[in-house]
Parts: sequence; C-alpha cells; structure tokens
Amino acid sequence: MKFITALKTALGVAPGCEKVNEFLAEFVEGALDEKMHAQFEEHMNMCKCCDHYLDQYRQTIDMTKEVDEVAIPTELAEHTLAFLRKSNAFSQDQGSATS
Amino acid sequence: MQPTDSKNPGPLGTPPDSGDMVTTTAEGAKGSISLDALMAGDEKAFEQLVVQESPRLFRVIVRIVGDDDEAASILQETFLQAYQRINTFRRESKLTTWLYAIGINLARASLRKSRRLSSLEDQEVERMQPDFNRGMFVETPAVWDPSRVTELSDRRQLVRRGIEQLPEDYRTVVVLRDIEEYSTDEVAKMLGISSGAVRVRLHRARGALRKLLDPHMRRMPKA
Ligand SMILES: [Zn+2]
Repeated sequence: MKFITALKTALGVAPGCEKVNEFLAEFVEGALDEKMHAQFEEHMNMCKCCDHYLDQYRQTIDMTKEVDEVAIPTELAEHTLAFLRKSNAFSQDQGSATS
Repeated sequence: MQPTDSKNPGPLGTPPDSGDMVTTTAEGAKGSISLDALMAGDEKAFEQLVVQESPRLFRVIVRIVGDDDEAASILQETFLQAYQRINTFRRESKLTTWLYAIGINLARASLRKSRRLSSLEDQEVERMQPDFNRGMFVETPAVWDPSRVTELSDRRQLVRRGIEQLPEDYRTVVVLRDIEEYSTDEVAKMLGISSGAVRVRLHRARGALRKLLDPHMRRMPKA
C-alpha cells in the first residue's frame, strides 16, 4: 500500500481493508455516497488484498448468476388453478369467474 | 379522473375509480392485471395472476426448499392464502412483493418442518469471512483464474453445490438478489427486514460462496 494511503488509514481518515470489506455489497451496488465511493476506490487502487478480494467477490456474483435454470413443471399454473377450485376458493365450474 | 389515495382503496366490492394495475414480472407473459379487480375477488383476474407469476415464484421456492414436488405444493398453498387474504394487502408495496413474501414464509416453514439441514451452520458462515488484523487483511487473497473452470456445466455445479450448502436465510437472499435480481429494497420487503440487513446477509453469503469456490478458482502456480 502506498505510504500516504497507509498513513491516512492508520490515522483513521481513510477506510482500512476491514471497513472496505464491510461495505463491499454497498460498493458493488453503487449504494455508497460519492465521497465514500471515491475513498473506497482509492483504497482498492493501492491495496492488492482488497483489489484481489473485490475481483473474487465479483466473479462469485457472476458465477451465481449463471447457475442452472430451474425446469418448470408442465401445467404448473393449471394444477394450481385446479387446486384453488378443489379447495372451494374458486367457484367449481371449470373456467372462470361468473359475474 | 381523480387521483386515488392508494392507502384507502375503498371497501371491497366497490373499487375506487382508479386504474391501478399489477404489472407482473413473468417473462413472455408480461401484462397488467387490474388491482381493483383482484382486490374485489375477481377470479378471472386472480387466474391471470396465477398464470403470470407461477413460473418465477416456483423458481424462487424450489431454490429455497430444493424439492420440485414440495415447491409445487407450496406454490398452490401460496396462491390459496393470497386469494383468501387479498383484502389484507395494503397498497404500500407491489402486489407481487406481498405474494412472494407469503410464498417465502411458507417455504421456510416447510424447511423447518422437514428439518432438512444445510451443511453449513451460521457460525461457519462467519468463520468463512476473511480475517483482519488491526483493520488490514491477514492474508492476501489469491488471484482467481477463470480459465481453471472453463466448462459452464462445471462452474454451474460448483455454484449450485455452494448455494445448497448455505443456511436458508443466506441462501434466500442470494436467490432473490443475485439470481432473480430483485432490488435490495424489494428483497427487504419480501423478507420483512431492512435493506441494510439484506446487504449484510448478502455480503456474508457471497463471502461464504467465495470461500467455497476459492480452492477451485485459484491460479495454479507455474510448474
Ligand atoms: Zn485493503
């Protein structure tokens, strides 16, 4: 870590790794205020640990997004509608509301 | 037309003169259902809701409970409760958010009853977070090399196993936020917790998944 950043962190005027890590979900979501976001970016640029961790964190999210599709059972909605009719929630006659 | 006070939708059966619509989320069948018709107990409108929301809600439930038949039965119960309790819906959130909250609660109750345990305990999730000393990383995290797992099917399997191992409340936020991509605020409403609490839970869940993936993803040292 660059000396100035390390010094700022030690003095508590810039976030350290633990603080950066604690708010990483906010950081990747863009939910931090501008000042904090800039401080975090400055830290990432100087700190190999946080930079590597952020990369792992992002790859984890990306891999999670590509998880397998769920196969939807055939006639899923039809079975639910039949269940609603059977439990007397809906009127018994096949089809729809009679109003 | 008068703007409608959304907090006072009028007594059931006499819908206010408004055009409140439920924009459903189902892909391929995107459409609007009249909220007033739904709240007046209109079966036709409710049928439309069932048809449009079943696939996505099923996906969420099956990812929480891990069993197709159980998920289908929870889905049915969810719609039954929603139909019976539609008059308790206060138009402060989206109707779909309210519906998903019912489904998620039923899914959780079913998991508790079946006592199917995820392999990780809450404390283990805590231990899988990185260690810090005086605010700094104790160990430098490894560089990940995406080319180590090039087959999509292998990556999917790694992730699926990881997600299955997470304790339920961690798994649920990952499913809703990272897989289904609901906003943090919507997830918070579905789970009845604050947005901050969603992010904390999500962050720990991602940290635990990261730890599980780490041995498979580390760049191999050159021989
Ligand atoms: Zn750092």
